[in-house]
Amino acid sequence: MTKAVPARTTRVITVGGVLKREEMDLVINPLDFKALQAADYAKRYNGGKLVAVSMGPDFKVKPLISELYAHPIEGVDEGIILSDRRMAGADTWATAYTLALGIKKVLDLNRGAVEELRSMVESGEGPERVLERAKELYERNLIPNLLYTDKPGAPLGVLQRYARGQATRDEVIEALDRVRVELERFLIVAGLKTSDGETGSTGPQTAEALSDLMGRQIPDITHVTWFEVDAESGTLIAERKLGSYVQRVRSPLPCLITISPEYRPDVPRVSRRKRSRSFSYRNKSPEVVVWSADAIGADPSQIGLAGSPTIVGPGIDIGGIPVQKFLGVTKVFSERVERLEFNGKTYGPFERFQKVEGLPEELVRELEARGLVKVYDLKDLIAEVFGGVLAAAKH
Amino acid sequence: MSSQLQSIEVRIEGYTDVWVYCEHEDGRLTRATTEVIAGAKKIAERVGMKVVGVLMGYNLGDLVNEPIYYGADKVIYCDDPRLKDYQVLPYTTVLSDMVLKLKPWALLFVTSEIGKDLGPRVAYRTRTGLAADVIDLIVEDFIMNLPTGRYVYKNCIAQVRPDFATRIAKIFTPKHRPQISSVRPGNFTPLPRDESRTGEVIKWEPRFNEDDFQVEVLETRRLPKSEVKLEEANVVVSLGLGILRDATGNPRDPREAYKMAEELKRLIQEKLRLKAEIGSSRALIYAQLKELEGLITKERQVGQTGKTVAPDVYIALGISGALQHRVGMQRAKKIIAVNTDPNAPIFQIAHYCVVGDLYEFLPRLIEELRSI
Repeated sequence: MTKAVPARTTRVITVGGVLKREEMDLVINPLDFKALQAADYAKRYNGGKLVAVSMGPDFKVKPLISELYAHPIEGVDEGIILSDRRMAGADTWATAYTLALGIKKVLDLNRGAVEELRSMVESGEGPERVLERAKELYERNLIPNLLYTDKPGAPLGVLQRYARGQATRDEVIEALDRVRVELERFLIVAGLKTSDGETGSTGPQTAEALSDLMGRQIPDITHVTWFEVDAESGTLIAERKLGSYVQRVRSPLPCLITISPEYRPDVPRVSRRKRSRSFSYRNKSPEVVVWSADAIGADPSQIGLAGSPTIVGPGIDIGGIPVQKFLGVTKVFSERVERLEFNGKTYGPFERFQKVEGLPEELVRELEARGLVKVYDLKDLIAEVFGGVLAAAKH
Repeated sequence: MSSQLQSIEVRIEGYTDVWVYCEHEDGRLTRATTEVIAGAKKIAERVGMKVVGVLMGYNLGDLVNEPIYYGADKVIYCDDPRLKDYQVLPYTTVLSDMVLKLKPWALLFVTSEIGKDLGPRVAYRTRTGLAADVIDLIVEDFIMNLPTGRYVYKNCIAQVRPDFATRIAKIFTPKHRPQISSVRPGNFTPLPRDESRTGEVIKWEPRFNEDDFQVEVLETRRLPKSEVKLEEANVVVSLGLGILRDATGNPRDPREAYKMAEELKRLIQEKLRLKAEIGSSRALIYAQLKELEGLITKERQVGQTGKTVAPDVYIALGISGALQHRVGMQRAKKIIAVNTDPNAPIFQIAHYCVVGDLYEFLPRLIEELRSI
């Protein structure tokens, strides 16, 4: 799960509290890189594929997801963007619902491919026909090298050996079932929180939404600082922070984890390489896929603004750039000055340490000469910042 | 235009009381929990409702009375061996079950690892909204102008949370109940603990799903107690990579700057009787300087991936102020920035700007404080 967030939080465009992502410069959420590193580690350990799923306006998000293919994190194999006008303005509830549907669709597609091959083999379809279909599915990254491969030097896929009469039907069914089982052992990795919303709620809510869609409880483990995941046994062992404690837990897959900023990826053992290769897929999909609300079968009343239980009220500005004083530069009043007349105009009153602004130069010079205006210095700073506590401390 | 619209009052009936999910550690309520009870009381009094403490765990014993001592009117607790360790699935099941049956008007969590895990899941399962990281709670009507009328949702909670950079936002959950929030520590003052307070204490019998116990806790170990209490400091003296060179570009021993920061901290504590602590930018920690080994450690990091602080005074020494750093300290009431680069982004948010050499500024500042 990745999210495109505003590149600079100082220039955020909102309309009635809803972010206008399509009008801003976006970047990948910084903490999502931790999630991508973690997912990449899990992939190198186990094989499988790394699918980056994001929600947002596709024309904005697409270049960012495409960039992930070329990014130092090498493992991103597929990029999927859930993009639809109706998804705009989603809060965490509606986002989780949408993301869960996207994730489920990814699973369904892969599961569908394996199931299709299985039923072909079972119904006695000729090995050549099965091979032909397997090749198509392999080229679409839907089945792993274990079943079909075009990697030079790699052992032939089971379906290729089946076509050559080197594997029995039972062996093929067994391999297909093995892949099918591992597809159920997926891991969803999310960043701890985003730099825009900063709620940290979407991870756990996506696990809950997916539990609801799949009719089984999918656990989530948040703030993960370390983990190891083994698709063969279908377990994940993780450490996570919980108050003043660290909990070490074992969870079955599927599971969702959110990655703590403190996480550092390990290097998988060399002995894992062969396994991870068999369960890897052909290559990276060059095109980022965009799915609309209809494509994922979303209920329009549950997505975007319409599906969001929370509404952001009008924002309150709490001051932009503060009144700034530069030491040795800024001119300030050295004491309180009552209202004063100058060339027929009245100015003030002014407080002690108030910055001299918008006064005629002549007047400023006069005030300086009278010692009422001075250049702000260290003593002033200490008096202004600590003056109050100083007085209190002396009592 | 809106004055021509017909006003339509919307009241969501059948929900009552403000619940607080009470976190506990080592047989005591956490301080943040007692703060949230105080926050709950503030809104409950406005709408004439009760504050209910919700406790879950195993062998709770006398702990069940603690929420009442801290101001709750009532406690609902669930004591079960299967709830010994916090686990998101069984906890979500029990709490969602309570919520759906007893229909609270509001449910408040602490912004903590547990609150930010359990809160979202319960909110999703009970199909309601969640506002995270709330800093204040206010009761007010929520008004929505639609073509069909001016809808006034009576007595909603404005859940106030920091928004981008310099704004705060009010989050409303007008149509769904309970209104769920997680409340950031440090925003409400706990009521004094008073054992003479009494209230109803109710035991809740849990019902679990078959697959609630998939996750197994292998080990729980205590984190080493941190000596660095950045979040509690009134004054944070923070160091960045700028300490490696002076204004003329000559390399300086970073230990010099560290020693001066220590001296500044000591003086602030002694002369001003304020809590002071040394912070650091991420860059300085990741530089892993030999000279600062064991002195500038991860627990001092201020910023997006470190700690968020809001002290009375933040002194940024040689910190350029990347966005990731600023989000961790921009809520400081007074920011003093010292940097040789007049274009350093830290000067965009600092109140007191010193364009110059920290190796000249610090000795002068120390001297001034000594003479107090």
